[in-house]
Amino acid sequence: MVGRILQFVLYPLVALAIGVFFLGLARKITARIQWRYGPPLVQPVIDMIRFFYQKSVSHGPVFAVGLIMSLAGSIVVVLFLPFGSICPLSGSGGLLVVLYVMLLAPMGIALSGGQGANPNISIGISRKLILALGYEVPFLLVLLTVMTHYNTISIVQVVEAQRDIGWSIASLPLFLSGVSYLLILPAMLGFRPFDVSTAPQEISSGPLVEYGGKYLLMATIEHALLLFIDIALFVNLFLGGAGNPITFFVKMLIVFVLVLFIHAAFPRLRIEQAIRYLWKWPTALALAGLIIVTIGRS
Amino acid sequence: MVNPVLLIVVPLGFAFLIPILSLLSKKIAKYIPPIPLCFNIVVSLLLLPRALENPVVVSIGGWQPGFSINLVAGPVGILLSAIVAFVGLLVSIYAVDYIREGATDRYHMLFLLLLTGATGVVLTGDIFNLFVFFEILCISSYALVAYAGDKAGIESAVKYLIQGAVGSSLLLIGIGLLYGLFGTLNMADIAKALQSPTSLPVFVPMALIISGLGVEAAMFPLNGWLPDAHSSAPSPVSAILSGIAIEVGLYAIARVVFTIFGLSIDSTSNFLMFLAVLGILTLLVGEMCALGQNNIKRMLAYSSIGQMGLILFALAMASSYAVAGGLFQLVSHTLAKALLFLTVGYMTYRTHSLDISALAGIGKRMPITSLAFTIGAFSLIGLPPFAGFPSKLLIVRAALATKECLFFVLIGGALLGTVIEAAYFFRVVQVLYFKDGNTNIARKQVPAVALIPIVIFVILIVGIGIYPKFITGLLNSAAAELLNRVDYIRNVLG
Amino acid sequence: MNPQLILLIAFGGAFLTYIFGKISSKLRDGAAVAISLALVAIFACLYGRRLQESFYWGFLGLNLSFRLDAVSWFFAIAIVSLGALSIIFSLRYMRDRERTDFYYSMMLMVNAAMLGIVLSSDLISFYIFWEMMSWCTFLLISYNQHRALDAGMKYIIMSIIGSVAMLAGILSLYVSFDTLLIPQIASSLATASPGYVLFVLVIFGIAFGIKNAIMPLHTWLPDSYAEAPSPFTAVLSGMLTRMGVYGFLLITYVVGGMIGGTGLGSNVLKFNYVLAWLGALTIVVPTFIAMLQNDAKQLLAWHGIGQGGYMVLGIGFGVATANSLALAGGIFHTLNYAICIVLLFMSVAAVQYRTGGVRDLNSLGGLVARMPVAFVGALLGISGLIGLPLTNGFVSKWMMYKALILEGHPFLAFAALIGTWGTILSVYKFLHNMYLGQLPEKYKHLEKSPFSMQLPIAVLSSAVVLFGILPGIPLRVINKICTWLGFSSLDVTIWGFTSETGTLNTMNLLAAIVVVSAVVWVLFHRAAKSVVVAQDDNYAAGAYVPKDKYHYTAGFYEPLFTMLRPYLRDVVDEFYTALAGSVRKSCGAVRRIYTGDVGSYVTYIILFLASLILVQLRWRPW
Repeated sequence: MVGRILQFVLYPLVALAIGVFFLGLARKITARIQWRYGPPLVQPVIDMIRFFYQKSVSHGPVFAVGLIMSLAGSIVVVLFLPFGSICPLSGSGGLLVVLYVMLLAPMGIALSGGQGANPNISIGISRKLILALGYEVPFLLVLLTVMTHYNTISIVQVVEAQRDIGWSIASLPLFLSGVSYLLILPAMLGFRPFDVSTAPQEISSGPLVEYGGKYLLMATIEHALLLFIDIALFVNLFLGGAGNPITFFVKMLIVFVLVLFIHAAFPRLRIEQAIRYLWKWPTALALAGLIIVTIGRS
Repeated sequence: MVNPVLLIVVPLGFAFLIPILSLLSKKIAKYIPPIPLCFNIVVSLLLLPRALENPVVVSIGGWQPGFSINLVAGPVGILLSAIVAFVGLLVSIYAVDYIREGATDRYHMLFLLLLTGATGVVLTGDIFNLFVFFEILCISSYALVAYAGDKAGIESAVKYLIQGAVGSSLLLIGIGLLYGLFGTLNMADIAKALQSPTSLPVFVPMALIISGLGVEAAMFPLNGWLPDAHSSAPSPVSAILSGIAIEVGLYAIARVVFTIFGLSIDSTSNFLMFLAVLGILTLLVGEMCALGQNNIKRMLAYSSIGQMGLILFALAMASSYAVAGGLFQLVSHTLAKALLFLTVGYMTYRTHSLDISALAGIGKRMPITSLAFTIGAFSLIGLPPFAGFPSKLLIVRAALATKECLFFVLIGGALLGTVIEAAYFFRVVQVLYFKDGNTNIARKQVPAVALIPIVIFVILIVGIGIYPKFITGLLNSAAAELLNRVDYIRNVLG
Repeated sequence: MNPQLILLIAFGGAFLTYIFGKISSKLRDGAAVAISLALVAIFACLYGRRLQESFYWGFLGLNLSFRLDAVSWFFAIAIVSLGALSIIFSLRYMRDRERTDFYYSMMLMVNAAMLGIVLSSDLISFYIFWEMMSWCTFLLISYNQHRALDAGMKYIIMSIIGSVAMLAGILSLYVSFDTLLIPQIASSLATASPGYVLFVLVIFGIAFGIKNAIMPLHTWLPDSYAEAPSPFTAVLSGMLTRMGVYGFLLITYVVGGMIGGTGLGSNVLKFNYVLAWLGALTIVVPTFIAMLQNDAKQLLAWHGIGQGGYMVLGIGFGVATANSLALAGGIFHTLNYAICIVLLFMSVAAVQYRTGGVRDLNSLGGLVARMPVAFVGALLGISGLIGLPLTNGFVSKWMMYKALILEGHPFLAFAALIGTWGTILSVYKFLHNMYLGQLPEKYKHLEKSPFSMQLPIAVLSSAVVLFGILPGIPLRVINKICTWLGFSSLDVTIWGFTSETGTLNTMNLLAAIVVVSAVVWVLFHRAAKSVVVAQDDNYAAGAYVPKDKYHYTAGFYEPLFTMLRPYLRDVVDEFYTALAGSVRKSCGAVRRIYTGDVGSYVTYIILFLASLILVQLRWRPW
């Protein structure tokens, strides 16, 4: 009982720590690739502490409520994902619930930013939603392939099945899905070449433009958790999860560094180019995977 | 026991009384027609119980049935004469105010003559007598169409006259040929002697008679006169023509086909199928032509053609279900079409135009009249809870019960006709209520004397729609009598 | 409580309201509200009872009878509650309009006709009430005049086409089995030939498909919803169109309910399979067309078509694969969608009421500050439509997805899921353009909605959340519907399901979200305070943000539109319009037979006679 409560409390904190670490790592590695020194690894932590004590402006009650909803949604999603052998909310609906609770995060930001009444916010949100539609098409196909292949909607069962059969990404139909997921991962995380929804130089960070102080703190925490969630999902579904948190973390690190290499080297795609790309190769691969799995099953 | 002859003699007598009385006072002519029509209704209702058991056969002049002219007042005869009298009564009450200009006494005399002719056609048992009464009906209607005296009316009347005359001549030739073949003019006698209706000597008179009657009954290639005549006539005349005259023509065809020539689904179904196809063709042509109309009375006239096609189709299926359905459709069409023409009469009088678009906004200015129009339109389309629904139901059921592929296709055509009907009637209802119109027209209701028949029609349509039991018993007996040739011969000849 | 009394109250109430309206408008308003609430109370008391009795003997030899069981009660309670809420909403909305007596009596009559449909136990009374509902709807849609007239005509023509198909089906059943009582037909159809069963399914499917707006029979819907008066649009989209869903359930019962889910003939399974795929198509395409709309009501109307696809997908798939989860999901989605869409149309109507009829999304904005209750209603409505967790839409969608995935139909599941994303995009555009963003100057002094409009919005919003947290309440009734149709029962608990392939436990979810939100909120409040600033005090990289000029609404998804627009043309609508045009032209051509020249008419007569005689002479067919 106490162990359960401890899991509930510590797990999000650990996830947050990993996410924040990834944020710092991102800036450091990108800088190094670009022949700069870059800020220290703990820069995000310093920033977050500063945001906590800074004054900010607000545009109304919905401004705060939306952000709270978004952050709460992200934390709850974390509770559904297996992390090594820890998975607090494993028996309450599986991958479908995760898919839907994941919606709370962007919707919350969209809601709160809406009351911001800054056209940059609206442009950013519209781009974010369009981009989401772009990567959701291959993403849903990938998830459906996994669920159909293992005939379950529970992530824990997928992990356990991989312990017996081997990593999903090593088996044929799911290899295509895994590659597709990797191809859309930068879009899901908001890294280049798909950072058009925040686009600092173009629309002043889009939805984040009116955030300061505690609002920016919430948004940063949410971004950190988003990094954790998307990569953890990939590791669980395709890289076999892990028996213990350390191995899990190592796998996540490797995937993340791969994403970072792309982020450091590529420029930003425009939104139409982004959609066109997302609906071409990743979708084709994911669709191929799904067709193979469906034929194989029937 | 009342003598059915009175049903014909009394209106005839009053008809000739009118010119005499109008020598005294011009105004009295319009109050006279209701009297004999009331009398007819009462007599029909009195005769009804007897007629349901056994048709009442009366020989004029006391001669034997073989030689004499006789009247056969069976269920179908009483039903139709009651309807003729009832609708005639209501329209004549309406006409008290509507017919103001011209030689009003002649109008009312011709009106009574038309109704006398109609009653005669439905009651007679002798084929030449049928021709005589039919001619009385037709000639009165030619004159009534021209009553308004304007160019359109006279032109339509002349066209009607020419085509009607052609039809009557064909009818007369056919009757003559039959007389030559069988030596008798009594329907039952001919029926007894006639064995095979499709042998050539018998087929030719049948074709002639059907063509001749078909002109009046608005069958497809023969009904060119109808759109002009019904739309150019004054509204009460259109009501009577659409409501009674063409139905009576169709009854005459049914009587000839079923009783005299003895066509039935057992032996001669091919020709009946041909008539059914013709009926659906009439229906489709009528509805399709109505769709494009901008003139409201012309639209209603084409709609009458369509409905006649449907009734012909029902009658041609020749099963008891189908004939009962056809007779029900006849009744509901009479009520609805008469109502529509009566309401349109005053609406067009107020707007001084026959265009549908001129009717915009009438819903606000003449609320009761517009409501009556809407109810009549809905009933004609066949929407519950109005009278048109049970009748269409019966016809569709009868068609599906025949289990013949051809009838399935034909009823599909009939349902398509319903959709087209809905299209043009709903458009008019929208224009009435939901389009803004000319605000110069004051809000004035129709005069009370015209409102009474309209309201009575509405009550009947809704009542029959909710309680079709009122008339289904009578319709079933009427259908049985129409189809049962052997019993007819036995009843008349003994 | 006998059925005659219920019908009398319902229909009589409609007439009474019209007559009261001639006396005094307050009396009429009170009567309308009282009657609709009375009907809600009656049905609330009738929960769990079963009735089957005749109420009219001898309509053309048939007996009309009434039936109350799980599925009737489910639809009836939804109809009367949503109807009552719409009438309460109309009290203020229609106050200064003309012809309000007609409006109220027609609203009550539509309600009564829908009640008649779901309570009828034989197909003739079903048909009678169906037709009455159709022409009442036609009159109500045309109420707003001008463009509404074309919308009304499109609606009634398509509806009549469906009705005549249904009439042919009903009468063919009558002719084959000599009865129209639904239970008796069900047992007779069990022994009929598969071809005949397929014929029955297809012909009723056309009628119900037109009413429920399944592609490609959906084209009447967008214009009708947009042009009808808004409180009626709520009823129309929530319940009236879903009479098609009720029809599908009924025909499924008639065709297979007596045998039970596993004994259905292969034709029935194929039909339902095709239906499921049509449902999937209906989900995807209209939801994306909704994104392109700039008129708030048209946007919601296209969603009406799309969400209807969910219901048909669930029901069709559930029957085709004997899966009660999908079936229950489809039926539950009907209820959830009804609640959400009525809520959304009411919030649009609230905005229309205050702004004077504006529903163009490109000219509104920022109304969250002026109309908070309407905003909350819209927010919860779209959450339910998307299916955010803790709303009712989430539960019904979860059920359908799980069934689709585990039965091995991932493509159908994909269609449903991508439909959700289309929904997210389009309803966010709806919410943003109407309530978020910048508040235009001319609306800076807009008043809040009046209480009689806030009340229904509040009731429905709480229903969205209540059924999301405690879905067991409606699911118990839906379970009974599944067993009535012959499918296996589900393990329903007050907050979800238990089954071996994955459970749904909304309580855990609720607890998690509440606790986490509380924690976040505490964190939020411990941080430094924030200052509320005006709307135009915004960051614009040092430039000044002029009022009323920088509200980003028009072309909200422009990059996506330029890619998708060629694929999102409503080709079906263009096809139907072309068809109607050619029918009209051919009618014009047919009219030329009547040349007006008496010579040609006499020629017709003589030719007819001559051909009759000639044919008989030569070929002797007769």
